[in-house]
Amino acid sequence: MTLANRLRNIAVPFVFGVAFLAFWEGAVKFFKLKPYFLAPPSKIISNFFSNASRIWDAASVSGMNALVGLIAGTVFGVAMSFILSRFRFLNSLITPLAIALNAVPIFVLVAVLNNMYSITSEIPRRIMVSLVVYFIVLVNVAKGLTQVKTTHLEIMRSYAASDIEILRKVRVPNAVPYLFTALKISAPAAVITSFVSEYFGGSQNGLGSRITSNIANSKNAAAWAYVLGACLLGLVFYIVSVVLENVASRGGGATDNTNK
Amino acid sequence: MSAVHVAGVSKIFNQGTPKQVDALVDVNLTVEPGEFVSLIGPSGCGKSTLLRLIANLLEPTTGVVRVNEKTAAQSRLDQDYGMAFQQAGLFDWRSVAKNIELPLELKGWDKEKRAARAQEMLELVKLPEFADLMPWQLSGGMQQRIAIARALAAHPPLLLMDEPFGALDEMTREYMQGELLRICAETKTTVVFVTHSIPEAVYLSDRVVVMSPRPGRITEVIDVNLGENRSEDTRAADNFFAGITAVREALRGTHADHANAGAIRGVEDR
Repeated sequence: MTLANRLRNIAVPFVFGVAFLAFWEGAVKFFKLKPYFLAPPSKIISNFFSNASRIWDAASVSGMNALVGLIAGTVFGVAMSFILSRFRFLNSLITPLAIALNAVPIFVLVAVLNNMYSITSEIPRRIMVSLVVYFIVLVNVAKGLTQVKTTHLEIMRSYAASDIEILRKVRVPNAVPYLFTALKISAPAAVITSFVSEYFGGSQNGLGSRITSNIANSKNAAAWAYVLGACLLGLVFYIVSVVLENVASRGGGATDNTNK
Repeated sequence: MSAVHVAGVSKIFNQGTPKQVDALVDVNLTVEPGEFVSLIGPSGCGKSTLLRLIANLLEPTTGVVRVNEKTAAQSRLDQDYGMAFQQAGLFDWRSVAKNIELPLELKGWDKEKRAARAQEMLELVKLPEFADLMPWQLSGGMQQRIAIARALAAHPPLLLMDEPFGALDEMTREYMQGELLRICAETKTTVVFVTHSIPEAVYLSDRVVVMSPRPGRITEVIDVNLGENRSEDTRAADNFFAGITAVREALRGTHADHANAGAIRGVEDR
């Protein structure tokens, strides 16, 4: 890609974004929209900076819940996928369930989990995030461990390789790109689940609950400032997962596996 | 002593069910050390099945398969043969050299010995400067040469190949045939080679085993008299064409007793 092309790729969405904000600002001024109906971007940004430390605190709470859940869900998901790939009958039992659960909004379960722990506990939210992540990781990594090329298996058998050697030298490397695909899907899902979990009661300390409480107090601009914080947090999680994937695939170059 | 000995072998898939397939019936074949034998026949004649029985990737329903005077199972455990397929089957996450080292790793060789052998094999297939590249950086023909280098890395006495050049273009294919003959002559390797192509079978082989389907069986074994030193000139020689004609007629014969006589399906006439 030439420099001019690259600049154009960045410039077009940038110009569009600035134009959109200007249009928003102009519309609020022109139609004299009330601040509790729609706040202008200038006010949102000034609110964002004046509340920066509080937004940071709330983002740390939501971000920590998302991160802990993401790590726990990934660990359990990977562990379970190994068990599934070893015992195929479990695979036919659990995979349809995992796929079905991926298609329904299971984060509403957090309401039930909240009942099981004290009202100020962060544990239900973390469990909820890890459940969402767990199924995404499980389905993808199990696929990577089992969908191995027939030729590769025949070659390994012709070398008299044991099941453990086939696992170590074929199945695990084959599953690595699938793991990073799963992480790329689960990182934003973890952040979203962490926010949404906060709408179901518990401590009012995260970004999600701050957004609702500010709206309840008609502080529209402040609510939008927290929304901006939430967007940034989601972006950070996504970027880190993409960078991790790029670092991992630089050695292997087997990125074509991820599209199947 | 024979390199491969197949006696009274049959292979029936899904026996006793409506989907029963008689893949091979009463197959007898002996391959001498240093010999190059091709298996040719239309789709469904069991040539790939026979190769997998020799490799012990399948068990025969009846009969005996012996490789290097041992049972096929013991030969596989001892890594007495190397194998190459239509898909090169290189591992995307391993460099070219690490791919070649894989069978040696599984044999428990130490690192330096493996690296030295990988380099030796790369020189054998004339790709010495490609050790650190990844497989996807190579062309199809180069990948197949690496696959052959990997199959021969442990210096097995026997090489089993299942249409290894089937996915290559005609020019690359002829070049690879020449390379394979050179490599086998240098390493004195016995080869059992499955192919769809009549000229390929004749050009490479000491003997061509002609097979027919439903049920899969050997119908004729044709000696090819092209001598030891084959070159590009061989492809224009009279006895090369005589060999092609003999194999073609044998293949027609396998179809004469079928309803679709005349059409040699699944065999490339080039």
